[in-house]
Amino acid sequence: MRLLYNFLKDMRLSSKSFYFYLEIGFTVIIIAVLLFVVPENFENNLSIYLHLDVDDALYGEIMGTLGDNSTDEITIVDSREALEEAMSENRSSVGLSIYRENNQTVYNFVLQGYEEEKFKNIIKTTVETAFANEMFGDTDNITVITLNQGVEKLSDRINMIPIILTMNVSFMGLFIIASYIFLDKEEGTIRALAVTPNRMWEYLLGKMGVLLVSGIISGFLLMAIMVGSKANYLHFSVLLITTSLFGSALGLFVSSFFDTMTKAMGWLFMIIIIFALAATSYFSPSFSPMIIKFLPSYPIMFAFREVLLNNPDINYIYMTALGFGVATIVLFIAANYRFRKTLTI
Amino acid sequence: MITVKNLYHSYTKDDRYAVKNVTFEIEKGEVFGFLGPSGAGKSTTQGILTGLLQLQQGEVNVVGYDMRKPSREMFNKIGVSFEQSNVYNKLSALENLEFYKKLFDVPTLDPMFLLKIAGLDHVANKKTSEFSKGMKHRLTFVRSMLNNPEAWFLDEPTTGLDPAIASQIKDIIKEKNQAGTTVFLSTHNMYVADELCHRVAFIIDGEIKLVDSPRNLKLQYGEKLVGVEYKLGDELKKESFSLIDEMDRLKLNDIINNGNIELMHTKEATLEEIFIKVTGRGLQYNETSI
Repeated sequence: MRLLYNFLKDMRLSSKSFYFYLEIGFTVIIIAVLLFVVPENFENNLSIYLHLDVDDALYGEIMGTLGDNSTDEITIVDSREALEEAMSENRSSVGLSIYRENNQTVYNFVLQGYEEEKFKNIIKTTVETAFANEMFGDTDNITVITLNQGVEKLSDRINMIPIILTMNVSFMGLFIIASYIFLDKEEGTIRALAVTPNRMWEYLLGKMGVLLVSGIISGFLLMAIMVGSKANYLHFSVLLITTSLFGSALGLFVSSFFDTMTKAMGWLFMIIIIFALAATSYFSPSFSPMIIKFLPSYPIMFAFREVLLNNPDINYIYMTALGFGVATIVLFIAANYRFRKTLTI
Repeated sequence: MITVKNLYHSYTKDDRYAVKNVTFEIEKGEVFGFLGPSGAGKSTTQGILTGLLQLQQGEVNVVGYDMRKPSREMFNKIGVSFEQSNVYNKLSALENLEFYKKLFDVPTLDPMFLLKIAGLDHVANKKTSEFSKGMKHRLTFVRSMLNNPEAWFLDEPTTGLDPAIASQIKDIIKEKNQAGTTVFLSTHNMYVADELCHRVAFIIDGEIKLVDSPRNLKLQYGEKLVGVEYKLGDELKKESFSLIDEMDRLKLNDIINNGNIELMHTKEATLEEIFIKVTGRGLQYNETSI
């Protein structure tokens, strides 16, 4: 029962404090940004300026090859100078100048200068495929194989939600629980509690409960508005609860090594920044070095992503939840042990 | 009720002891004063006795519990009032007491009753952030009475309070003690100690210099003088007479028989004078000490 009293007291206190609304406030702002600023899908229409200095036969062949290419915007310009001028006005464009020289067709790519080598190669290959191969009748030699046939694709907007859930809901508790603990220490109320039959774990768990409530409010708010009924809320709840508790327990454990918020802040901030690195692999799965896969944020992001899919990998979701549940217990026991020795000094 | 043997404590975990070789016993129903200047080791000793600091070296037993491994059950039997008020500022006075009341496993006193004896019943539902320092101090003080403790630890219970409130606090302590509560009183205020304590311990630089009753200390270290103000003709005379010196006693007797005595009082040594005599140091707060 003392745990309940601690939780209710902390809920009452935190509902009157700024920290409780911090996470929820962030979520509301993020929802507004997602709804009104971020498009459903990021358009990546690359404009292509094409200058053709070839005979009529080849001209007709090239134009025929372009056919009804609807994904890219292709503009024919009159001269090489006009091509460069058009490109300087539209920085999201590439140029291609095709001309005959020494009885050979020359494909001259004109780029903006900021393109990566990978992009250059893709452009080159694409144009080669689209123009050169078709013109020389080599299309039969080109085969496209898709490795993962059943991969579901989320819209760009929804695809951001797992990162928001991970960083704003699961790991926001890292900071906030530290603030709650150090505020109690500063006001001396922790010493008053320490001379009652109240146990340290009851005190700490009460704080985690508050963070869990604000995490659930933020998480469900985000999901309800952005995803609606498309997500499986049972899977989501299990994952949200375990990862939110993990974030709080980690915050407690890290805080237990410090005696003031100021001293703990640097480390907590560094941990959040490192955890955020997992977002790079999330957006670019080809970049997944082992060190990033070891970050707790990595499996959490992908597990939240599974929740959003029509055919989620339930095994992955629940194994992630189980793993973080166990980690939470270990961290909590360690934090409880340390705080029993240090919190009232 | 409380036994302390060869207690040592070092915050730096080396031989720089905040408390060293402290030994004393407190009987049930006794008011035991721990007198010393700031930084002498009073709060460290009280911290160990109340479980706020870990026992490093020595033996400490409080209300039957070994402080080497204190049980949380022990806290049903003790009450602790802190020098610095530590209440939840965002809760009302009543909410503060109601919360702490629920933490105990023993019958507790009615929060409203406690607020009444602290003179805070009229602001029971007011947030404590709006309280004055004195009001918060009284709330902290009565909070420590919630579980009707067998052993009551009071750290500077009247410091910073105006005389009227300090007097109320002292009256409450006396009443509780008469009802059987054992009191461990840490203070640098000799008057409070003199008025309330059955025995006092002088602590300085982490070491206890002596333990005795205020009466015995005064008898042992006082000069046993009587101060008299009397009229000799139109002149008002002030004189002190030793009760030991024969000539002084005869002269005093003569004044009593013949003179017009206006004021007469014993001039016993104060605890502070005795403290200085024993330790060579004063009891005032040392601002530079930790």
